[in-house]
Amino acid sequence: MQIIENTKVKEKLYIDKLENGLTVMIIPKKGIRKKYAIWGTHYGSNNSKFMASGEKEITIVPDGVAHFLEHKMFEQEGGTNSLDVLSALGVNANAYTTNDHTAYLFESTENFEPAFDELANYIQHPYFTDENVEKEKGIIGQEIMMYDDEPNWVVYINAVKAMYSKNPVRLDIAGTIESISKIDKDILYKCYNTFYNPSNMVLVLCGDFEPEKTIEYVKQKQVNKEKVGKIDRIYEEEPEEINQKEIIKKMEVSIPSFIIGYKDKVVTNDIVKRHIAVEIILNLIIGKSSNLYKELYNSGLMLQEAELAYEFTDNYAYIMIGGQSKKPKEVQEYLNKEIENMKKSGLNEEDFKRIKRMIYGDYVKEFNEVGDISRMFLADYFKGINSFDYIEEIEKIDIEYVMSVFKEVFNEDKQVISIVEPLN
Amino acid sequence: MQEKIIEIKKGIKLHLIKNDKFKTNLISVFITRPLNREEVTKNALIPAVLRRGTENLKTQEDINKQLENMYGSNFNCGIEKTGDNHVIKFYLESLNDNFISDTESLVQNSINTLFDIVFNPLLIENKFNTEYIDGEKNNLKQIIDAKIDNKNLYSLIRCTEEMYKDKPYSLYKYGYSEDLEKIDAKNLYEYYTKVINESKIDIFISGDLDSNQIENIVRENMNIKKLNDREGKFIVNIQDSENINNDKVNEVEEKMDVTQGKLVIGLNINNVRKDDKNTMFRVILYNTILGDSANSKLFQNVREKAHLAYTTRSTYIRPKNIIFVRAGIEIDNYQKALDIIKEQLEDMKNGNFTDDEINNAKNYLYSSINSIEEEQDTEITYYFGQELSQAFYSPEEYKKNIELVNKEQIINIANNISINTIYFLKK
Repeated sequence: MQIIENTKVKEKLYIDKLENGLTVMIIPKKGIRKKYAIWGTHYGSNNSKFMASGEKEITIVPDGVAHFLEHKMFEQEGGTNSLDVLSALGVNANAYTTNDHTAYLFESTENFEPAFDELANYIQHPYFTDENVEKEKGIIGQEIMMYDDEPNWVVYINAVKAMYSKNPVRLDIAGTIESISKIDKDILYKCYNTFYNPSNMVLVLCGDFEPEKTIEYVKQKQVNKEKVGKIDRIYEEEPEEINQKEIIKKMEVSIPSFIIGYKDKVVTNDIVKRHIAVEIILNLIIGKSSNLYKELYNSGLMLQEAELAYEFTDNYAYIMIGGQSKKPKEVQEYLNKEIENMKKSGLNEEDFKRIKRMIYGDYVKEFNEVGDISRMFLADYFKGINSFDYIEEIEKIDIEYVMSVFKEVFNEDKQVISIVEPLN
Repeated sequence: MQEKIIEIKKGIKLHLIKNDKFKTNLISVFITRPLNREEVTKNALIPAVLRRGTENLKTQEDINKQLENMYGSNFNCGIEKTGDNHVIKFYLESLNDNFISDTESLVQNSINTLFDIVFNPLLIENKFNTEYIDGEKNNLKQIIDAKIDNKNLYSLIRCTEEMYKDKPYSLYKYGYSEDLEKIDAKNLYEYYTKVINESKIDIFISGDLDSNQIENIVRENMNIKKLNDREGKFIVNIQDSENINNDKVNEVEEKMDVTQGKLVIGLNINNVRKDDKNTMFRVILYNTILGDSANSKLFQNVREKAHLAYTTRSTYIRPKNIIFVRAGIEIDNYQKALDIIKEQLEDMKNGNFTDDEINNAKNYLYSSINSIEEEQDTEITYYFGQELSQAFYSPEEYKKNIELVNKEQIINIANNISINTIYFLKK
């Protein structure tokens, strides 16, 4: 077992690869009552097209299978449902699906072992029938419809659609009512057998654990499966250009919401450094202490701080600046002017230092809660990142590098805007 | 974990919660007043104006730069309705001194910064800055108008309004657009002075801290020294279904451009003696079995068996002693969903739930009680809730009380529950 220590946040990571291929990460937290377990597969909504290891033919499945699987994994032979079993133990259990991974989790203050047994059992023993697959279509259908009524979701997905013409990131994670109607148990088993192999999965535990003991315990709960080789995840080639400049949708809301997006290219080196650079730039441009934010706020063009995000995997990367405004297009104009000016004048050294300090504090705060810590290590792992890297890289980053990323990424030809506006 | 309560002045309490689990300290100031129509909009406007500038940090930009320099301390403020009280809330979260290399104390700086924002606003000619007032009035107007944007929340607000017509609890926490016109820099400052001089104030500080040192910092703070003793009037949150005409179920349908129908049912809990504190624990169990977990009757029957909903649950509003049942459903399935929900209420009345269901619910509740001290804001909310209800239970005592509840008592609660309002938002 490898031990990685970070002296700044005063935490240790124990990491091991089990015989069956499962990667296990343990972050011990002495004296914390809550124990958190999250077990994830490197398989998300973007993986509807793939070539399983050892196969020569491409498999294409309907959109929304990864999420559908997430719902169905709880179902057990004999009609029991693992979510019920876990709830009965008094643990808080859940699951979620993202574009690149699916995760099953619970947090407990008591009954960790019986809960973990249940988690290990249901993840390693799927049970799909025609009947239980059919029934889920109604529930997921309501989930899809719920999101359709949420302006925040609509403005987000339209921004992604504006940026991407081919990559499945532009689709709803849950699929559509039409696409899920085609899902059957054979499709679910096919995807399960391909992606839920231990060698494609990671388990993260955070709480008051003794890592050596815990790892032995985890080993006992493993089902040995034949290791699979590389899975080919196939994505249609995505052009560098954006798909369309803007998407505007009318909904019953009081004030427009908007997201301004920048399509970034996928990089394989220095991903952490690039991520930090983008965060710094976003804060310098339109963060809460920026000139631009002051101007927008004082002129009534923005009601509150913009939401800033950089999202990336190995097949897409984008930046989002979101908020509410009576005139989103004017916000966009202000933004573009500010970016042009900053490119000419360069970045302010004092502002740069202050924002770095702030982001350092934000990273340390990420290590406050066992659930946040576990989810962070899991999501970063699938991106090939060790979460401690952020704490180390932020100290080293310099203004020249940040400026070079700024000039490379924040260009109008890669910019889109998505708006949800009132009906009349 | 333990909470130490110190009365700084009459009506002003300092609550110290020592907890070494976190990398942060969380400081909050809560100002509490009884809810009423005349004040509700002004209360909502106050935190928005205060965060714009202080005598020391004159603009929002100055405040934000200071926070960024303090290793990204997070400031937050807002307004909440808790029972019949309106609470103006301010928070500042900052790194514990163990995680920074500076020699100066970040915790002292944080406490002083937060008090500066709350108690030492920027004044121009003895009133608030007119520019800030105008900006924040516009802002608040948009927040009030945005009530319709989140349809789930909107339907809950509407059901509450129906249940508490003309009662304080029906008031919208952000207030009303028409009240904004009358507010200006002068009269809002006068009102603010009244609020600061008269209201109940609770200061919570949580973290890995030395209690004596923190108490000292608070007592010596210039802004705290300026404050006087006060009555600090508030409405004690007791189980009070003062509502609402219950002769006949109030059925309300409303139309909006929605894809999914949002069903909200408001339940009354009747025949509760106000001094009977045990009722609360019984209702908590009733609610958990009915609809507060994955094992609940609603989740199992509305979602898992009938596949009518993705979200369905019930929520107990303790300060008002009511329960809301909610479901997001296909509009055409309205009657079907309503029938199934009513069946669950009947099942509870008839005692159609097993000892297993009771035990599962208890386990579920123990777990959430155990988790209270695992998050700083949850812990503060827990103790503040006790302050407002004037009922003090440690988490262990709380668990004990849950443990004591038996089936008969839950059935008894069930038989005192009636539907007050059925609200449906549809296309």
